[in-house]
This record gives sequence, C-alpha cells and structure tokens, in this order.
Amino acid sequence: MKNIIVKYLVAFSYFLESAYWYQKVKRFFNNILNNDSYPYKKIFDIFMVLIILSSVSILVIDVREHVADWLDYYDLYIVTTIFIVEYLLRLWVHDDIHKIIINEYEESQFFEKPFKITKVLKKIASNKWAYMTSVPAVIDLIAILPSYREIRVLRVFVLFRAFKMLRYSKSLLQFFEMLKSKKIELYTLIILISFFTLIASVMIYVFEGNGTNPNINSLFDAVYWALITITTVGYGDITPVTIEGRAVSMLIILTGIGAISFLTSIIVSAFNEKLPEIKETRVMNQIIKKKDLNLVCGYGKIGQLVSKKLQEAGESFLVIETDPVKVEKAELDGFQVLKADATKSDTFLKLKLCQNVKSVICATHDDIMNVFITINARSLCKDVEIIARCSDKSVAKKLKLAGANHLIMPEEIAGLLGAVYIGQPVAFEALQAILTQKRTARIDEVEIKLGSFLDGATVGDFDFTANRLILLAVLKRLKSDDINSYYIVFNPPEETELKVGDILVIMGYSVSISDFKGRLEKSVRFKT
Amino acid sequence: MYGSKLDSREIILFGFGKLGHKIYEMLTTNFNKITVADNREDIVAEAKKYGIESAFYIDLVDDCKLTELGLNNKILFCAMDEMPLNIFLVLSLKTISTNCTIISVSTSSESTRKLKFIGADKVIDLYESSANRIVDIITRPAVTKVLDEIIYIDNEIRIEEIEIPPNSFLEDRCVSEIDFRKFGLILIGITDKEIGDDFIFVSRGINHKFDEGDILVLLGESQALEDFYNILWDKNSE
Repeated sequence: MKNIIVKYLVAFSYFLESAYWYQKVKRFFNNILNNDSYPYKKIFDIFMVLIILSSVSILVIDVREHVADWLDYYDLYIVTTIFIVEYLLRLWVHDDIHKIIINEYEESQFFEKPFKITKVLKKIASNKWAYMTSVPAVIDLIAILPSYREIRVLRVFVLFRAFKMLRYSKSLLQFFEMLKSKKIELYTLIILISFFTLIASVMIYVFEGNGTNPNINSLFDAVYWALITITTVGYGDITPVTIEGRAVSMLIILTGIGAISFLTSIIVSAFNEKLPEIKETRVMNQIIKKKDLNLVCGYGKIGQLVSKKLQEAGESFLVIETDPVKVEKAELDGFQVLKADATKSDTFLKLKLCQNVKSVICATHDDIMNVFITINARSLCKDVEIIARCSDKSVAKKLKLAGANHLIMPEEIAGLLGAVYIGQPVAFEALQAILTQKRTARIDEVEIKLGSFLDGATVGDFDFTANRLILLAVLKRLKSDDINSYYIVFNPPEETELKVGDILVIMGYSVSISDFKGRLEKSVRFKT
Repeated sequence: MYGSKLDSREIILFGFGKLGHKIYEMLTTNFNKITVADNREDIVAEAKKYGIESAFYIDLVDDCKLTELGLNNKILFCAMDEMPLNIFLVLSLKTISTNCTIISVSTSSESTRKLKFIGADKVIDLYESSANRIVDIITRPAVTKVLDEIIYIDNEIRIEEIEIPPNSFLEDRCVSEIDFRKFGLILIGITDKEIGDDFIFVSRGINHKFDEGDILVLLGESQALEDFYNILWDKNSE
C-alpha cells in the first residue's frame, strides 16, 4: 500500500515538473505576488490596498452608525475570502513541493537507499512552517480573522489588515528596514526609557498613591502618568500635588527630553546611512524600464559634456561614477546617477546590459580604466556599442582588441580639426555649423521603412532639389539581416534603387528635413 | 583651398608637450613646413630627438624672441599643455602680428571664451569636440559614418573649396542652371563676396548668381573635383 502511494506521489511530481501549464501558472502567481519588476504586480498591489481600505472604512463607519447589511456581508465573506486565497497562494508559491520529492527520490535512487516518505513530509512541513512563521505571513494570517464586532477587543485585528498594507508599499517597508539596522540603539533606548518609567511610576505611587492625589488610584495610573511625562507629551489629566511628586516630575522631564532627542538622532542617522541605497533603488527602478539606454561611465569633463548633449538630443542615459564628489555634481546637474564601479560585472548585470543598453561610453580620464570598462562590457554582451576615450596610440590598439567599436582621442580630433581648418577654412566652418547644429542647416539620416513611398523607388523618383534637400549619400546594408554593416554610396546616381532598411543621409534646413521625414512616415501609415 | 598649394602654408606649432606632440603627428600627414616652439628646454630637446630640425626654444614673455620666428603670413597653432600659457601666448601673438591666422586648442568652455575674446581666429575645444563626436555616434550613426568617410578616413571622397576665377563658364549663371551632378559633385554652399563672408547653404533655396571670387564648397571624388577645377580654369584661359 505504502509503495503504491510513494509511486504515485513520485510520478505526480515528475508530471508537475514537466507540465508546462503548471509552471506557467505558478510563475504567473509568483510574479504577481512577489516580483517587483512585474508590470501587473502594481495593479494587484493597488487592488489589495483598496480592499483593505474598504474593510477598515466599514469598521470605522460602523462605530457610530449601522452600515448596510450587504457591506457587512462583503466585509465578512468576500474580503476574508480574498485574504484566504492570497494567503494560500503565497504559501503555495513559496517553494516547490514536487521538487523536494523529486530531489529526495533521485537521491535515494542514487545511494540505493529506501525512499522515506516521513523525511520528505518533514522537510516539506519545515519549509512551509518557516514561511508561515515569518512576520509578513503572521500578519497576513491574523488579518484574515474577520472583525468580529460583538467583542470589542477583537476589533484590534482590523489593525492587522492595515498593517497588511505594508506588503504593498515599498517605501513604507523601506522605513522599517532602515530601523532594523539600528536595532541595538533602539533596544538600548527602550530599556533606558522603561527603566526610568518604572522608577518614576514607583516613586509617584509611593508619594501620592496613598490617597493624597485623587487621580492616582493604582500602579497602572502611576505608570501611565510616568510614560506620558517622560515622552514629553504631558496630557495634564494627572498632575503631581505633593512637593516630592513635583521633584520626581522635574527629573523625569529632563530625562525625557534626552531620550526623545536620542530617538530622533537614531532615526535621522539610520535614514542618512540608508539614503544612498534608497536613491540607488529609485534610480534603478526608473532606469530599468528604459530601452536603448546609454551608459556614461565617468563624469569628468567629457562625461559632463556628453551627458548634457545627450539630454539635449533627447536620449535616455545613466551616469556611472565612483567618486562621491562627482556623483553629487551629476545629481546637482539633474542627471540620473548610479554610484557604482563600471569595471565590475555586477554593475552591468544589474542594468541588464544585453537587453536594455544601447551603448557604453567609457569617458573616464584614465586610459587603463577605460580598457577595463570595455573588457567588462564586451565580455558580458557582444552586441552592445562601446565608445571609448583614450589618449595614447598604444592603448588605442588594446581598446580595439578589447572590443571597443569607436575610439575617441581628444588630442587627435583637435589635431585633425586644426588640419582641416588650415586647409579649408570655409568648408570647415560649414561642416562645423552642420555638425553642431548652431545654424539651421544640418545633416540628418532617414531610414526607409517598409511601405513608405521611397520603398522600391529610385533616387530620381523624388526631386530632392525642389524640396530643398541635398542627398549626400545612401547607406545600403551589406547583408539583409545584418543591421550593423553598411556600405556607402556617395552622391548616388538617379537610377539607384532604394530598398527597405537603406538609410538616406540628407542635408538641409530643419524645416525641410522635418517636412520630408513627416511625409515618409505618413506614407507608411496609409499603405499598411 | 584647392589650387592654392596646401603644402606651401607654413605652420608654427607652439607647445610640444602631451597635446602638442599629438597635434604635430596629425598635422604632418597634410603639411610639411612645420616649426615647433616651446618654452621648456627639455621639450625642445625632445622634439629635436624626435627628428624635428626646426624646433626652437622661446621665452613667452620676450616678444622680440617671438618676432624672430617670423610670424607674418603663417599659421600659428597654440597647443601648450597649460591653458593659462596658451591664453597668454595668443595674446602676445595677437599684439605682435596682425596678418597671421591664430588657432588655439582649449580644454574648457571657460578658456574657449577667453581665447575667442582676445582674438584667436579659431578655437578648438578638445573635450567639446570629443563629446560632440560621441553624441553623434549615438544619435546619428549614419551621418557620422558619412562624415568620417569625408573627413577622417583618407579615401577618394573629399570636401573642397574652389574659388571661381574671373571669366569662368560659371560667370553670371545661377545655381539652378548648373547641374553639378553631371560633374559627379554635390554643391554644399557658397561664400558670396558681394554679400559678405557669410556662408550660404545651397539647400536654403536661394537662387544665387555666381560671381568671380565666390568660393564654392563641393563634395565629391578627388578625380571629379580635379576635373571640375580644370574645366573652371580652362575656360578662363581660352
């Protein structure tokens, strides 16, 4: 009999392991409950917060006036059911039972030992128990208990429903996480306050509890008074009447002020310590959603200029810098910064280099550093575009070998620009004007999209001159599937055929260029 | 400019430090009459060791010494490693000589502003131009590729300026009448002597009338440029 159960259990586990739909469903629930980067989790979180708010509101309204019966039923059955389902789902996705069974089974097969079902059950139970005893799970469980209205104390459980909101709000959770790091300090403070409260309450009880003060009738009153005084709240419903009592008050007030400022400083310092981390998470959350991200590694002179110009061009980018002074400068300049080391693979992995990043710009002033960043990026992703700055020819070779696509040598560029200027000052000024877009004439590129009016046409079909444009060149793909290798046809003759994926490099005034681009785009919309 | 014998222009390069050395290397590919001057003896010695015969020591404060170099009609390229020296040098050169072209390298927008203010003809901002290039690679890859072919990579496609000689076949004709495509060239723009030194982009659509002395900026293959140049000057001689 036992063997049959084991046999079916193992078979069922293997079935689950191989069942695609089961994995998919489980992954979906895990995402919606636990995965912060899953887009629908936010919707689920908001839904749960609304449910909780509705439940709490019903209780609050119920204090003074009777709510409609259907609301009572809603609170008692529907909300509770939702909470139960959520609790069970969380318990389910916490770990995989079938995997434990399979592991245990394969191990027993390997060592040729008998498969012990009790051991497996124990392991499953201990795993689930570990989850059930974690603080969030306990809060979830208590929150399920419906607010049983007939017993007033039980209403406290509604509070747990409010606590449950913590689960759905990241910033609230972060605050508690922060305080966690100051456990020892907070613990000391609580001991200190309890100690003084105890002494003060005993003293006031001794001096005034014997009937001298009509308000202090029990030790509870005395403790209540001491706590209200030491926290500097001071309601004034109980006041000392004897000289001894007042002396105790004065002492306890002074200690209270000390304790409160101590508490404030603990919270502030905890906040300060965690601030960079919080900032980082915030930046990461914003940045991780962006596609075609440019990483500017190093916020020196070039890094600053590049960031400024990228922003003007409307590109999304992230500055990565290790020097705290430069990080602060980038923050002040209004850019998104990550204080991280770009030579470490962790940094790039966190940013999902392969999926989200368009280009890595190595712009530190240190050539060796730029080589390291290049190697790091290239080793993680072979498609990302790497632009590296260097000032030495020998380093340039190494950078090429390490996988940089473009090299920027400031001194060389300056020399070259100088040479061009000396040789052809007018042409140079013209090119400068076009490049820096300070005047209105500029060079731009237009890709031919599928179905646009130039798709399948020849260069002669469109009168560029009449549209006040100059067609400088056409870039054609070497291979139809490779989007990165092009060959250039300068001043293409009229019979040149244009195909999807070709890039036209045109020169003209902004108005003419945007007009041309607009017409191309419109023609795509109408044809498809 | 085309035909004005590029190689004959003399250049004095001030500074042969880290920056100057790189610039010298870039300039030697196009020009061969380059004089190097620096205010540090060891650097001058280094330049001589590198194979530059015309390397001189100069005292920046001594204007007479600077004049001795013979500044007139030359191109003065200021590429000292330290920006204050560069600014001071440009100022000195400006006061001594009036008919020379002063080009200076700058490493910050602050220095660029000062250099322009004291009258440098061209200021090349080292980091600004690098940053521009990086951003162009990212935002306009195709444009950058095309411009690279024209400027950076030594091949047949070039951009050239050609001055219209007197009595050429272009005289008194309009831009729209001439089909530059026939010559395998693209006319980018013109500097018109009548209006002033302002550069006019052809794409602006103004139907300009060619005159003697106008400078055409043309893009095309070296051979096509040369042929066009010959036609232009042949008609002149007839």
